[in-house]
Amino acid sequence: MSSAVHAQPFTVRRRLRVGLATKQAAFGYMILLPTLAILLIFRFLPMLEAFVISFSQYDLIHPPRFIGFANFVDLVHDPLFRNSARVSLIYVVFSVLPVWPLSLALAVLFNRSLFLKDLLRSSVFMPVVMPAVVMAVVWTFMYQQDGVLNTILGWVGIDPIPWLRSSSTALPAVILIGIWRATPYYMVIFLAGLQAIPNEYYEAAEIDGASRWAVFRDITLPLLKPTTLLVMVMTVIVAMKVFAVPMIMTGGGPSDSTRVLPLFIYQTAFEFFDMGRAAAMSVFLFVAVMLFSVAQIRIFTRGED
Amino acid sequence: MRNLAARVVIPPTPESTPAENFIRGAVRHRGEILIYALVLVAVAISLLPYYWMVSSSLRTMENMFRVPIQWIPNPVNWRSYVLAWNAQNFPRYFFNSFVVAVAITLGNLLLCSLAGYSLAKFHYFGRGLLFILILSTMMLPLEVTMVPLFLIIKRLDWANSYQGLIVPFLVDGFGVFLMRQYMLGIPKDLIDSARIDGASELKIYWQIVLPLCKPALVALGVFMFREAWDMYIWPLIIVSKDSLRTLPLAISLFMSSYGTAWDQLMAIAVLGTLPMIILFFFLQRAFIQGIAVSGLKE
Repeated sequence: MSSAVHAQPFTVRRRLRVGLATKQAAFGYMILLPTLAILLIFRFLPMLEAFVISFSQYDLIHPPRFIGFANFVDLVHDPLFRNSARVSLIYVVFSVLPVWPLSLALAVLFNRSLFLKDLLRSSVFMPVVMPAVVMAVVWTFMYQQDGVLNTILGWVGIDPIPWLRSSSTALPAVILIGIWRATPYYMVIFLAGLQAIPNEYYEAAEIDGASRWAVFRDITLPLLKPTTLLVMVMTVIVAMKVFAVPMIMTGGGPSDSTRVLPLFIYQTAFEFFDMGRAAAMSVFLFVAVMLFSVAQIRIFTRGED
Repeated sequence: MRNLAARVVIPPTPESTPAENFIRGAVRHRGEILIYALVLVAVAISLLPYYWMVSSSLRTMENMFRVPIQWIPNPVNWRSYVLAWNAQNFPRYFFNSFVVAVAITLGNLLLCSLAGYSLAKFHYFGRGLLFILILSTMMLPLEVTMVPLFLIIKRLDWANSYQGLIVPFLVDGFGVFLMRQYMLGIPKDLIDSARIDGASELKIYWQIVLPLCKPALVALGVFMFREAWDMYIWPLIIVSKDSLRTLPLAISLFMSSYGTAWDQLMAIAVLGTLPMIILFFFLQRAFIQGIAVSGLKE
């Protein structure tokens, strides 16, 4: 068989190879096609349409009417939108900042020999297992005035907190759930990052007699930098998209104190049927998500051609 | 338990076991005790909502807000489960959630692996650009595209339908990325030699490439099932018919109509979490792996 191929004139062999390559390329395109079709119709097309709708007035009943930048101009002056953007910003900052050190600390704790390590680690991981809607229902119950959280706080002499019923404590209450849910998730990612650090570094440090803190500061942290960057970006993106918990627990109240941007978009579109305005808000959210996503994709694909 | 005892008595390796470390450490280092204390606090915080959910589902309403708080339900109130289960069409909602989650999981396993295979092992014009394009869908979350996506589904007349709940999520940019990265590690010689043996491209994918990707597929499958089981905003937007409600949607509506029947609400919450706990129990490694790789670059 192989001698027969070698016996063929050069041009025939070449054409044969090119023919095979084309056939393979065609197969490559073919198996990519369903993915491209779905993503085109259900991701890219909607994004394009979001831009178009954001320039129009549309209530689902009357046909859309082009109104230029009116939606955007209105939004910038709308105190409700500004409030919502502020709430989202506060949510992102305060639900994300504690997660970084907490998840890293947990990962470091679990990256060593521990008695019953697997069981303990699985227990700490459990918040990730709970569905978001269940989480909202259970925490609403725990946040009741006579609920379990106020009881536990009472043990250490803290007066009952009104949690979801006061506009000054509702957002912190929602943020607390975000932290509870996110910390074990990123602990897992940090653990994977820690386990990728070659043991030789630590052995060398041990020989040099470096202290635990020095090892962490001079070996672990610098080598963990790519993971840390990724966790930072991912936490921010996830926090910008928070919806189920405020929607179910507070509906945005009391006095708009928990109306994060995705929730406000949903309510504008599907409770007030102002599609144009909702789409304009989506554009704002898109720009924010995009900035961080570009960073994420760059971290993902670093080191490739 | 037996395993653990064996480990304590007969160390499997010359190195000391965690249990021995624990005892020795507790004696020698106070730092060791601090570490265990911190871990136990983390465990308590992580499990408190679970404990409170389960125990409250079994507590009678009279004891629900009793002072001092009742930690262990007494008498045990099993009826909350029966009442909640029969209060609404929950068997149907469970069925809907399973159909949607299974379909989305299977769709992703097939389409992400096909797309990943294409991007990892085939050479054609525009491949790099297509890869970036697919990756960039990760920055188009539902929270951004919900308004126009709803309009598209309405135009297709897919509101209140299974296909409306499933088809838009049959493939995911992150899943494609995950499969591509994994398939980059499959030796090209393996595929080429199968070609020389005369295997068709489809057969190579199905019988050689897919079996090699089993760990990645299991991790992706668990990840997608969890995401689909969790999905709330999309059914909220496109489902208005009772018969098409998924579980998260039904639970949230149950809460707004039975807001004070906490025993029944917690019972439904337990039932809604159970599939995830079972999945986690049996596929723990894959469950964690799916999340670990969402933060890995290679």
